[in-house]
Amino acid sequence: MQLLNTLLIGITAGSIYALMAIAFVLVWRSTRVVNFAQAGMALLSTYFGYEAVSRIGSFWVALPVAMIGGALFAALVELVLMRLLVKHASSGPIAGVAPIIATLGLLGVIRSVISMIWGGQDLRIVAPISNNGFTINGSTLVFSPLKLLILVVVAILLILLTILFQKTNLGLALRASAHAPEIARLSGVRVDAVRTLGWALAGAAGAVAGLFQTVNGNGNFSPDSIEFSLLLVSGFIAAVIGGLDSLLGAVIGGLFLGIAISFVLMYVSSGLFFIAPFVILLLVLFIRPQGIIGVKAGRRA
Amino acid sequence: MKAMNRRKLITASAVLAIVGLASTALPAQAAEVGVSSTEIKLGMTLPMTGTASLGYNKIPGAAKAYFDYLNANGGINGRKVTLVVKDDRYVPTEAVAKTNELILKDKVMALMAPLGTANVKAVASSVNPARRGVPVLFVNTGFSGFADTKKYPTTYTVLPSYIMEAKIMGEYIKENFAGKKIGLLYQDDDFGSDALAGFKTAGTKFAVTVPYASGSQGAAAAAGWITKFKAAEADVVILFGVSSATSAMLGTAAQLKYAPQWMLGSVGGDATTIKLTGVPAGVLYNAIGFSPVPATTDMKDEYVKLFSDIYAKAVPGSAFDLNVLLGMNTAFMTAQALKAAGANPTRRTLMAAIDSKGATFANSALVPAGYSKTSHVGLTGYWVGKYAPTGDLAPIGGTYVTYTTDSGSGAVVKSTYKRPAMPAKGLPN
Amino acid sequence: MHKSKKQTTHIPLFILGGVVLYFLSGMVDELRVYQGASIAVYVIAISSIILLTGYSGQVSLGHGALMAVGAYAAAVLRIEFNVPIILCFVAAVLAAAIGGALLGAAAARLSGPYLAGTTLALAVGLPSLANQFTVLGGEQGLLFDVGFPPLSLGEEFTQYKWFFWIAALAALISMWSVRNILNSAYGRAWRAGRGNEVAAQLAGINTARSKVLAFTISAGIAGLAGALLAMTIGTVSPSAFPLALSFSLLTGAVLSGITTLGGVIIGAVVLVAIPEIADVVAHRLGSSESVTTNLPGLIVSGLLILTVLFVPNGPVEQHRARKAKHDAAHAGSKKNDKH
Repeated sequence: MQLLNTLLIGITAGSIYALMAIAFVLVWRSTRVVNFAQAGMALLSTYFGYEAVSRIGSFWVALPVAMIGGALFAALVELVLMRLLVKHASSGPIAGVAPIIATLGLLGVIRSVISMIWGGQDLRIVAPISNNGFTINGSTLVFSPLKLLILVVVAILLILLTILFQKTNLGLALRASAHAPEIARLSGVRVDAVRTLGWALAGAAGAVAGLFQTVNGNGNFSPDSIEFSLLLVSGFIAAVIGGLDSLLGAVIGGLFLGIAISFVLMYVSSGLFFIAPFVILLLVLFIRPQGIIGVKAGRRA
Repeated sequence: MKAMNRRKLITASAVLAIVGLASTALPAQAAEVGVSSTEIKLGMTLPMTGTASLGYNKIPGAAKAYFDYLNANGGINGRKVTLVVKDDRYVPTEAVAKTNELILKDKVMALMAPLGTANVKAVASSVNPARRGVPVLFVNTGFSGFADTKKYPTTYTVLPSYIMEAKIMGEYIKENFAGKKIGLLYQDDDFGSDALAGFKTAGTKFAVTVPYASGSQGAAAAAGWITKFKAAEADVVILFGVSSATSAMLGTAAQLKYAPQWMLGSVGGDATTIKLTGVPAGVLYNAIGFSPVPATTDMKDEYVKLFSDIYAKAVPGSAFDLNVLLGMNTAFMTAQALKAAGANPTRRTLMAAIDSKGATFANSALVPAGYSKTSHVGLTGYWVGKYAPTGDLAPIGGTYVTYTTDSGSGAVVKSTYKRPAMPAKGLPN
Repeated sequence: MHKSKKQTTHIPLFILGGVVLYFLSGMVDELRVYQGASIAVYVIAISSIILLTGYSGQVSLGHGALMAVGAYAAAVLRIEFNVPIILCFVAAVLAAAIGGALLGAAAARLSGPYLAGTTLALAVGLPSLANQFTVLGGEQGLLFDVGFPPLSLGEEFTQYKWFFWIAALAALISMWSVRNILNSAYGRAWRAGRGNEVAAQLAGINTARSKVLAFTISAGIAGLAGALLAMTIGTVSPSAFPLALSFSLLTGAVLSGITTLGGVIIGAVVLVAIPEIADVVAHRLGSSESVTTNLPGLIVSGLLILTVLFVPNGPVEQHRARKAKHDAAHAGSKKNDKH
């Protein structure tokens, strides 16, 4: 029973990391940038969702509202911040570091502004379906309708996004704009618009991650809540484990990280929460420096 | 050519920077530092932003609410009490930097309720308020080490130490749960290790202990903890963590239909805070809780009534919880110390006042304080209660049963302390 | 372009700097002296980032953890074995350098975001290791006491002045060393590898070894900064090395100009001064509680974004680039004059 529950706990946590990792991969694949403000955007989208819930009362309305809000905000960031960044800081060693710094700054700005507008106290969003564990033969599993829903949503997102990237012209344009923007432009692709779209998709994915992270807990969130800090670090590590180039990798990376951490905490010591990701990451990258599904050399940053 | 310019630039920058900072230094004050004819200035450092700030960032508002009330009623011998608050984000480097500002730039008379063991330690070691003669009043941490008057001669604790709480819990378990399997959830740092030390002194044997890394507590982690407790078949589960850990644990337990006999430590045991996170009142029902101050929902208590009235007027819309009660209580005690320090208070008379009269300062706690010329220990115990069907902590059987002990090997005794009546209007007498 | 003249060690410059600082420390009040010590610590830490990222092109989000390694090494030696302070600092450098070597070896095959991710995980995970081993003092921290200033310096010599002297001296020595390393063959190898790794390998540079060396040296310097940081706050605890510290170092490096050592003091001063200035501004502008509390954070983060956008190579490089343009224009017009 303990083993099964450990696995289930890991899968649930991992599925949320996977959502965040998907957002990171989307940004990376479309603009070759690591967006550290991703968790901040997810947080902001959660606040949008909260406003929707308080006015309309339905989580199922709040979800698309948050996704649209997140997508719009992300697109705005790409249009304003990233374009400027490309113009001013795209050569030399600063090119690798500049987006990281800029997005970190953005993360801080988002957090501060949220605190100023909504205040620093906890707000609540109630889950749409039950989070009570399924009971089998008298013992309760650490798995509930809500957690099942999260897994389903992750799967759906993965399938939809993969279809988009692999089977549509838009997806081809997205991939081309990231790897060879000049050639793509020559072929008539509106590279700038496509890059913005990539960010918008990531913003929507992040919104889903933020909302589900919130309701999977006790429904509380605030600008300083622990859950969102964890989302940033774990989401990014999951993306790296999976290989930043692949959406499937993001999901696998997320699940792998979630399950591995769960087992470490259960069977070694639950105090190792912050050390486990580092060790896991190191082990994976030692064996496969490009991540589980990443592509080898030549595709380096 | 270019090298020359670079050289000049480096030196010029260095000089300019230092001179620039220097020119903003302020001149010193005449009388006792922080005390003027119209004002007494106090300083506080604590996390106002960042993950460690949840709940604690209400304390400045609470303390200021009391001080504003005090000032509106004449202040301390005609002087207004001002509280300067700085955000240290729970990082010791910032705590030191901000405390330096408080002492050297803002020139406060004393530090009040600084928060966090690592931060208070860093300040003690680096800023060295002891050597500067700056009183450090009523530190906001239960770490027992701060009661050591040799290491921290100007520091006063107020909260009962975690060791005291663990010993009292251990005693209560011995009296009521002998032979049962006991589980413990504790934070993986000084907070937790103090608890373990206390339980060791009390002789408590655990079937399972589950540490959690501070900052990792959340629903996912809680599911893991519960799985461990279930596997060990614990009858009684002690939650010796912060509020977010307790809420995560109880909320997830409800979802997983896990209901052992809960025992909540005071740090994470505030019913108001827990219920605000959505934990159903039914989960708390019959859990055992400890607190040194009255339950925050006990409106029959004169202190709770007055403080919650003051707070509701000062910060409307904000819940009156344990952080607020303790914050106002500390402000109240500080006010009495300042009053007892005489018509022209100095740092020395302030500390002397606490040494000689601190044990008799009226305050909302239901346990005695231990201040004396040889002891800077504040509150020394807890009362034991059970959470009612409404989810609020209430004394078992209606009467407060209090236990007191020390942070060493002294026994746990039932206390006969009767709290003196509140001074008129809640102002220092 | 001027030839790479054999850069002399500029010892007179550093001695001059030392003398200036000596006199200044006597004129300034204690708060500023303490800030001076903090600035010196940041100077050292930022220079380690400039070496690693600016010269060798490797991004580290985890230098805070390397600082922690140095700090803990120094503190443990001091407490357990009562080692003299100078040796504690040396041990800090060595311990962190070993950590850096290990990290560099593991990271040699990683690049860009993968390296960033690994160092991020390190920054989050390593400090919490202190809670697992009691000898490391746990969350409450270990004391790190460098002792009082020797009585020969007089009664009035405050503890903070002593900190400042130690930190400033360490900063001067470390800057001198870093400058020499950067101007040596190693530095040239790093820049070559950063620019075009394949070309560098063709030119005979063992880029993998070069990268590990960069990590090792950078880590050692960070370890020294960590031990000095522990000195200034008198303790070592995990909460003193949060993720935010690693981000601050990167910020300071960008503010200084990540490719050049010359502006490092700018970044350090900004990191120390901005929180205080932001506090003052917030209190003057602040209307409600939530605005006042969050304005400093907003100002710092906003400054970060503005700097990266508009002064991405740092003020020193910007100044140089402007000068170069000006010189080129001038040289052009001179040529025309000749006719």
